[in-house]
Amino acid sequence: MDQDRRRLRPSACTAAGWAVAVALPLLFLGVFFAWPVVALVGRGFVSDAGGVDLTGLRDVLGSPRTWRLVGTTLGQAAAGAAGSVVLGLPVAYLLYRTRFRGRALARGAVTLPFVLPTVVVGVAFKALFQQGGLLGWAHLDETFAAVVLALVFFNVSVVVRTVGGLWERLDPRAEQAARALGASPARAFGTVTLPALTPAIASAGAVVFLFCATAFGVVLVLGGAAYGTVETEIYRRTTQFLDLRTAAVLSILQLVVVGGALLVAGRARARRERALHLETEDVAAHRWNPRSAADVAAALASLVVVGGLILTPLAVLVLRSLRTADGGWGLDNYVALGTTGGRNALVVTVWQALGTSLRTALIATVIAVVVGGLVALVVSRRPRARAARRAVGALDAVVMLPLGVSAVTVGFGFLITMDRPLGLSIDLRTSGLLVPIAQAVVAVPLVVRTVLPVLRAIDPRLREAAAVLGAPAGRVLRDVDLPIGLRSLGLAIGFAFAVSLGEFGATAFLARPDSATLPVVIFRLISRPGAQNYGMALAASVVLAVVTAAVMMVAERLRGDRASGAAGGEF
Amino acid sequence: MGGLSVRDAVVRYDGEGGTTAVAGVDLDVADGEILALLGPSGCGKSSLLRAVAGLEPLTAGTIAFDGEDLAGVPVHRRGFGLLFQDGQLFAHRDVARNVAYGLEVARVPRAERAARVHELLDAVGLAGYGARSVSTLSGGERQRVALARALAPRPRLLLLDEPFSALDRALRERLAVDVRDVLRATGTTAVFVTHDHDEAFTVADRTGVMQAGRLLQVAPPEELWRAPASREVAQFLGYQAFVPLGTRAGGWLAVGPTGLRVLSDARSTPQQPGSDDSGRVWEARVVESAFRRGRAQVIVVVDLGSGDQRLVAQVEDAAAPAPGAAVKVTLDESSCAVVGG
Repeated sequence: MDQDRRRLRPSACTAAGWAVAVALPLLFLGVFFAWPVVALVGRGFVSDAGGVDLTGLRDVLGSPRTWRLVGTTLGQAAAGAAGSVVLGLPVAYLLYRTRFRGRALARGAVTLPFVLPTVVVGVAFKALFQQGGLLGWAHLDETFAAVVLALVFFNVSVVVRTVGGLWERLDPRAEQAARALGASPARAFGTVTLPALTPAIASAGAVVFLFCATAFGVVLVLGGAAYGTVETEIYRRTTQFLDLRTAAVLSILQLVVVGGALLVAGRARARRERALHLETEDVAAHRWNPRSAADVAAALASLVVVGGLILTPLAVLVLRSLRTADGGWGLDNYVALGTTGGRNALVVTVWQALGTSLRTALIATVIAVVVGGLVALVVSRRPRARAARRAVGALDAVVMLPLGVSAVTVGFGFLITMDRPLGLSIDLRTSGLLVPIAQAVVAVPLVVRTVLPVLRAIDPRLREAAAVLGAPAGRVLRDVDLPIGLRSLGLAIGFAFAVSLGEFGATAFLARPDSATLPVVIFRLISRPGAQNYGMALAASVVLAVVTAAVMMVAERLRGDRASGAAGGEF
Repeated sequence: MGGLSVRDAVVRYDGEGGTTAVAGVDLDVADGEILALLGPSGCGKSSLLRAVAGLEPLTAGTIAFDGEDLAGVPVHRRGFGLLFQDGQLFAHRDVARNVAYGLEVARVPRAERAARVHELLDAVGLAGYGARSVSTLSGGERQRVALARALAPRPRLLLLDEPFSALDRALRERLAVDVRDVLRATGTTAVFVTHDHDEAFTVADRTGVMQAGRLLQVAPPEELWRAPASREVAQFLGYQAFVPLGTRAGGWLAVGPTGLRVLSDARSTPQQPGSDDSGRVWEARVVESAFRRGRAQVIVVVDLGSGDQRLVAQVEDAAAPAPGAAVKVTLDESSCAVVGG
């Protein structure tokens, strides 16, 4: 009897531990994501008298403008995804299947755009396309093409990382077997390699589609007043017209699109994680060969993507930020960052805003890493019971939702629910915590996607080996999962920090003028007239880009040895 | 009674269809004994081992050690050791800290820990490897480290799950002998799972033959060979044919791998009067001849009473008969065994 009780205790402890690991993220996402979103959407369907009012649904769905917006959104997302895949594949081949001097640097250059703040990218492309810009002659400013190009700039790295991560570990002998059976290189690629890569391509494509469908900062900056997507329309309807009814219906429309894309991504991911025959990293790569047509073509394509698409806008941004008002060169714009702008466009100086951004991002990163780390830990397990396995799969899908739900919806939802969170009489809206919490909500999915592949790659028998040697469940976690998971934690911290630094959609709603973050300040500067304000926006964008890039570089170093096999940040 | 005692153990997986991996096994392993579980892959031997370790729940039955029922005792409280096929070393720890892991968990004082690690690395022939990273080790060295790690906390029972099958043949044979010596020297009780006959007979005191989730027979190697409990066991051990005994009780004479002999032309009639069974002679046709382990062998087609079969027969003459030749074959009693119906 006494003995039985002694035996029961550890498993009860373990169960309690897992319960906390599941409950904490669910509670966080429930209170700070689901509730605000549902509350906001719900308002659109409640009449002033308090009854259910579905006229909004009929009005909005009956309006041709709505369908035009949906068309633009889908077109923009499809074009962005297709462009990213087409341009990303040759780069993935070059960077992950061949070896050459400077490959690490090239990989870094390709990763950079993904972590750049959307507002910065918007400003950089605007500088490129506007009258007098390098590509001003093409008259692309405020067009669909400009928006799509900027979106491809952003997302090509998602395709390169995701497809490259699989490609570099694909056993080359399958393709060699096909060649030995008489297939030409092209045929071997088409019949053996491409099918093996398809899950990764589909998964990356779906995620890019998602990002493009819900893009906000880039569209707002580059598209101009005449250009509209579902996301920007939600923003305009709520902020300019206080038309919650329309905004709510549009939010639901967007959720449908996002849900579809997530479903495709999840399916593709599940297929990819089913064991392909994978080599350990880098065994499959060969030295870049100038006599191989494939290698040369990939190098040329990569040159166009990296040089033309990625580096040109950034170079233009830096150069333009160094132009002075009188047409010469100088640091005037950077000096002006210590002011509040022409005609007092701002309440705080840009440097103060940078300080706010860094403080906010720090808190957001801590929250996101704790919540995302717990989710990754739970989702990495394969429980014995089928129901529990299903629940784990559902959790995996649910935590991805914040990636696709309009940040504007989240931000506005916060405003209407956080005056009395959970009925408690604490007004979170004035506490200054709301901005980092909103940013953490957006960053959690990225943390999960970075840590999860590494934890999943742990052979379950490694944990069993520790358990048999006498380690209780908690000890196994500490001695096996933690040291291996830590390798991905550096990158996860970097992603979370970068996302928080650049977050614009929700922050634009929640940050008060005296505590504005850098992206909010940049947007305010370019929306105000005056050459000085525009110059400051350029300089501030460069500062934000440099800070973000520096954070990512430090994070990549923290990551430690790359021999773990699972490259993080895959979708 | 000391040692491991398994009663009516059933392990069932509730995947699609729900397969039964272990279907009611009884097994006893005495203190200090080394037992091998031998069987084809998928016969349930690994599932049984994992159930003993506590990694797989029992659907029915009991597992006890030293008279204590282990139901509800979690893996880490069982005090067993487990050696996986591929070592499963902790890549983020060096060799010494891998071996020390179980001791750290058990809060063994540092000095004692270091001494024990030293002693075990010595025992597995890896003295001086303590500070090496495990990624620099060869497959055989990794397996030795894994063995040292499993033995370090002095487990009551060591479970070995196909510990050598990932290694090449020569290394496998050498390691099997080494492992047996280490287990004997430390007096460790062990259950050893393998599909390799030679390995099982090299390492174990007794061998259990498993098939389709059932334990068919447990016996010392000589006894297993001399008296297989059934046709299934005999077949698994390599007995190539079964000749009905024709007695009232039924049963067969199992023909061992070297149990069939070609009668030389000069003595085409049996020369051993008084021996009834070896008096049985069958007409056979040679289909292939080969030279193996210094002896001539032929493959013949012969009907021993249950239709034409291709069997291996030994040839005593220097020159083996050519394919197509008609020969007479007889049984070599010493290489045959009687099995029950």
